[in-house]
Amino acid sequence: MLLFREGSREAFEELFSRHHRAVVRFAWRMTGDPSAAEEAAQEIFLRIARAAPTYHPTAKFTTWMYTVARRTTLNYLRDTKEDGEKVPILSAGEAEDGVFPVQLPGPDDRNPEQVVWEAQLTERFRRALGELPEGHRAAFVLNRGDGLSYEEVAQVLGVTVQAVKTRIFRAREMLLSRLSKDLSA
Amino acid sequence: MGCRDIRESISACVDGEASPGEAAAVREHLASCERCRVLERQMRAVGAGVRQVRGSVPDRFREEVFARLESEGALPKRKKVDSTTWRWVAVPLAAAAALGFFLLTPREGIRGPESPGPATARIETSSPPAPSPQGNGSALSAEDREMLAMLDLLEDPEAFDATDDAERMELLAPGNPADSPNPPRGGRSGV
Repeated sequence: MLLFREGSREAFEELFSRHHRAVVRFAWRMTGDPSAAEEAAQEIFLRIARAAPTYHPTAKFTTWMYTVARRTTLNYLRDTKEDGEKVPILSAGEAEDGVFPVQLPGPDDRNPEQVVWEAQLTERFRRALGELPEGHRAAFVLNRGDGLSYEEVAQVLGVTVQAVKTRIFRAREMLLSRLSKDLSA
Repeated sequence: MGCRDIRESISACVDGEASPGEAAAVREHLASCERCRVLERQMRAVGAGVRQVRGSVPDRFREEVFARLESEGALPKRKKVDSTTWRWVAVPLAAAAALGFFLLTPREGIRGPESPGPATARIETSSPPAPSPQGNGSALSAEDREMLAMLDLLEDPEAFDATDDAERMELLAPGNPADSPNPPRGGRSGV
């Protein structure tokens, strides 16, 4: 990025080659729509290029890049009338004792991370992800999807690490509530 | 610690972000709570789910991004060879070519009197020498004089540049003829 700031076109081409897949993926997970994701991803790179003259490496480049990406997608979602609070924090599906109404996997089940995510389930998951409040979705996607630590997510979102921890937990609760039947099938 | 109070810590444990004390408390709780063990497994599964939502890079995404960047001047142009650079390449090449041409060309005018060449050659060498301010014109053939003229030209870069050809040279990519031949280095405009 510093080389690009100094006028190297090749530096930007390298930067683009390294990160464009991650940017498109992030935009896709945040918007849930291919054309919206493409438009947002293009805008993200435009903003990165425009911001180059004032770029100062106070954090990892990827942290800065995801900050730009998140703000861009957030603005995009606001423009398309997302209010960011579509889902109540405590969902109606949560049982009184705090345990989700999910059919429990047996002890011999596979590792849950090895669950086969068939196309239909992935599509349901994508929709459920899109119903999360934007702040919860961003925290969950950055941590679980893009591999950022809680601390890095906190930098991107401009919140405390504790807030990130809570948002990710809430995101899990809401996703489990919506996908419980699918996960137990 | 009750189930409701420890679920957030279970989520942090799944992400590898729990403190040592928090992780110990979770392990202790899970050892005695079947429902939370199930919840922990589901939390792992739902974390894996987000990585299944991948999307794909659209066709021509790169071309469209770079076209937009170039249209608003946010991307430096590919480097061109400006006239100064071209001069430093062209002058040595032209000088080498001239020297080779000079060495490989028969110089009958110099050999003159000793040459057993044809009569026409003798007639040429016996003709009056062309007027020369340096007084050595009698030793040079027409080709030699042409070569010297070329070398004089090369020693005078201003005369060389007068053709303006170098100004239009571009090494890597065709550009807009209206572009400045000497773009500012290392800078970006319109940002």
